[in-house]
Amino acid sequence: MVSLLILAWIYFRIGLIFVGGGYVLIPLLNHIMVQQYGWLTLREFLDGLALSQLTPGPLAMLATFTGFRAGGFPGGLVATVFIFLPCVTLMLIVGRNYERLKKIDLISSTLDGVLPAIVGLVAAAAWNLGASSLSGAREFIILLIGFGLFKWTRVSPMIVIIGAGLVGLLLN
Amino acid sequence: METSKQTVSLTEIFLTFAKIGLTGFGGGMAIVALVERICVRQKGWITSEQFMHGLAFGQILGPFSLNVCTFTGHHLRGIRGGLVAAVGFITPSFLLVSLLSWIYFSYNQLPQLQAALKGTNPVIIGLIVVVAIDMGRTQIKGANSALLALAAFGATVFLKLNAAWVLLAAALWSLAASIWRRRCS
Repeated sequence: MVSLLILAWIYFRIGLIFVGGGYVLIPLLNHIMVQQYGWLTLREFLDGLALSQLTPGPLAMLATFTGFRAGGFPGGLVATVFIFLPCVTLMLIVGRNYERLKKIDLISSTLDGVLPAIVGLVAAAAWNLGASSLSGAREFIILLIGFGLFKWTRVSPMIVIIGAGLVGLLLN
Repeated sequence: METSKQTVSLTEIFLTFAKIGLTGFGGGMAIVALVERICVRQKGWITSEQFMHGLAFGQILGPFSLNVCTFTGHHLRGIRGGLVAAVGFITPSFLLVSLLSWIYFSYNQLPQLQAALKGTNPVIIGLIVVVAIDMGRTQIKGANSALLALAAFGATVFLKLNAAWVLLAAALWSLAASIWRRRCS
């Protein structure tokens, strides 16, 4: 069993680099977990990657999987807490200074200018997800039903998603 | 849109984000779309504009699905609210991954969750499209902003650029435009 302190330190450092962007995490974790420490085989690492993407959490849930392998449930917990510590801290600092930053004219107009680009990014996410996961007429029909429900009714999104999951289970 | 700020209890923040963390299959933008639906439209906890500012920061600072939750929680109840939202959001995924890891390392098998995801994926896409339309309706005014939105879309879809870089470029562009406007006036 690996010491939890060492785990905490390793994942905290990964968390710091992770702030730069999501997919950096894959080669980095692979290097540390598989090559440097040999806690997992490459095969296990790739299965863990697939498994972490099954959950709603960010890709960094891979930390939970690798931490679990290295130190059981406590290892997974420590890995998860410490990999997210840097970005949560940074985001809290941003939140704390948000109102103050917004009072500065230049920052506020820059922020407002970025908003259309965000709309483009959101639309692009739908496009990319669609390109990788829509494969037949059935999926398109589910998409249209979902679109209609979200656009014109006030049904809770959770219920629609759970319902869609059940439909997926039944159909496949 | 008025936001009702002080009245939200930490328990409600936790439960709301735990629910989001439990159902937001698809990750990333799926979470953003869910938080937008629930915290902006349904509960009116945060204005659409503030939320998108939080998303802009969140994109640049790493895992943006977690970051928008932290930002929204912080907006409601300060540091404690942000922490509670972040923990609430991660907890379901953490428990799920722990359970799946345990199954995986005990039986060397990946559980068959993919079938359910075949149903949720299209619906998630529908949700994201609706959110993009609603955001666009309030944020895209005039040719300039429409062009910027299209450019960001194209850069991500066709050039395969990382969203954080696209956003940084947009911020630089927008900063330059603000300085330019200020000089002219």
